[in-house]
Amino acid sequence: MESILGPISGYLTGLGPSVVLPVLITIFGLILGLKLGKSFRAGVTIGIGFIGINLVIGLLGGQVGPAATAMAEGLGVNLDVVDVGWPSSAAIAFGSAIGAMIIPLGLLVNVILLVTGLTRTFDIDLWNYWHSALIGALVAAVTESFLLGLLSAAVHLALVLAFADLTAPIVQKYFQLPEISFPHGTSAPYGLLAIPLNRLFDAIPGLNRLDATPAAIQKRFGMFGESLMMGLVLGLLIGIFGYGFDDPAADSTAILTLAISLAAAMFLLPRMVAILMEGLMPISEAARTFVQKRFPGRTFYIGLDSAVAVGQPSVIATSLILVPVTLLIAVALAPAGNRVLPLVDLATIPFVVAVMVPIFRGNIVRSVIGGGILIGAGLFVATWIAPTFTQVAVASGFALEEGQTTISSIVDGANPLTAVFFAAARLGVPGVLGAALLSLGAVFAIRVAMARRDRAAAAEAAAGSQEPSA
Amino acid sequence: MKKVLIICGTGVATSTVVAAKVRDHLAAQGIEADVSQGKVMDLMGPAPEVDLIVATTEVPATLGVPVVRALPLLTGIGEDAALAEIVSALS
Repeated sequence: MESILGPISGYLTGLGPSVVLPVLITIFGLILGLKLGKSFRAGVTIGIGFIGINLVIGLLGGQVGPAATAMAEGLGVNLDVVDVGWPSSAAIAFGSAIGAMIIPLGLLVNVILLVTGLTRTFDIDLWNYWHSALIGALVAAVTESFLLGLLSAAVHLALVLAFADLTAPIVQKYFQLPEISFPHGTSAPYGLLAIPLNRLFDAIPGLNRLDATPAAIQKRFGMFGESLMMGLVLGLLIGIFGYGFDDPAADSTAILTLAISLAAAMFLLPRMVAILMEGLMPISEAARTFVQKRFPGRTFYIGLDSAVAVGQPSVIATSLILVPVTLLIAVALAPAGNRVLPLVDLATIPFVVAVMVPIFRGNIVRSVIGGGILIGAGLFVATWIAPTFTQVAVASGFALEEGQTTISSIVDGANPLTAVFFAAARLGVPGVLGAALLSLGAVFAIRVAMARRDRAAAAEAAAGSQEPSA
Repeated sequence: MKKVLIICGTGVATSTVVAAKVRDHLAAQGIEADVSQGKVMDLMGPAPEVDLIVATTEVPATLGVPVVRALPLLTGIGEDAALAEIVSALS
């Protein structure tokens, strides 16, 4: 068995995700009832997305990596891990061995949870399975076990779905999105941590009265929102600190090239991922119809990407302030051991705070402080996982020379859940199994809390309807 | 040709789904339109020069461009009404 599987798996790895995924996606599409033409086109589109993302990651690694290393040496600020951001993380996750299995696995987990009544969110955004695939890939890389990776991905997805149920009432009320929840690997765990933080802030005298208005902040910090300008300015700064100005001709060439390259990378990465997304869409739609046709009449929360909440003025205002704050925190924490240079994910901060903001009742001061604390702590996690993250990226076929550039990502690399699963993986098999049991326990606990909340809501509704007659 | 800008949080995720549906529907109705995608943070600068914004998330109220909420195109609930609103905004 092993003697046949070895060469086959070696061959598949050699082909890389840009060849393997189009074939896999075509097969999934056919199973879900898509026509061959549509299925095949979707698969090829995904392959093209992979090639595109790979090109841009190459640009980031080739241009920014050496400059960051130079800056680390010149300035003594050791930020040499390049933040390649969520677009790259998603591609790396889908390109991994776990990623190849994540769509059927994710659908299966979601359907089992719905049928058993453990959770009530149906995630119609299959794209976001990548968060779970990334966790699985990291665990698989650390434990060198595909099965433990698969288990961790499944458990992670279950947890995120439960978190989505838990925060759904707050999300629905605050963003006025009836029936919606956010089973989103980025925003959901941060939202959970915001609940105790909010209690803490309530207890601090003075802090409970501070707030700011979104409009004034949007005007003053608006420039931090545009990736294009951000990339250019960051590139100039890193270039100046990295290359100095001893040799005006050579240094200015290096600095200006870096600036335009970083602007290009930050602008192009989301475009490339949009291609990947475009390919995945017909599959996602087909899967949704597939599940809805087989489980009609059930009331679910419709699980969406928190992208639909990001435009809320307080979320935007908080994120705009957090962009420069995150950079300052990264530099300030460098002596304490942070090595991650925040870049691409500076544009993704809205997703970190999307569920935190409603829990802080839209208070921008609290959201900035809470977001800053969690991002600061997350930088250490992102630093910690960076070598494994880089190893997974290389295994997924991305063009990085191991040992030359180390990469990580703020949004999912720094995520509290990533920390939990990564720590568990480091403890080996007992760690992973323990984390899985604890997570399932948490899913049960949330289910119990939900039932209690339902009864309270029903009692309240009953009391409300009796009042007029009393 | 009319210009339609689809807005979401990333300019990638939900806007891709909506853009595809809007493109298909407009083509089926024989309406020629240039459909592009963007992220809500890009709207913090000068207002974009488009005829219609279709947004899956909240956008600033001060843009001076008609806005259609695109949530129905994601959830599938009320999809036809939302598509009709987009068509009538463009004609």
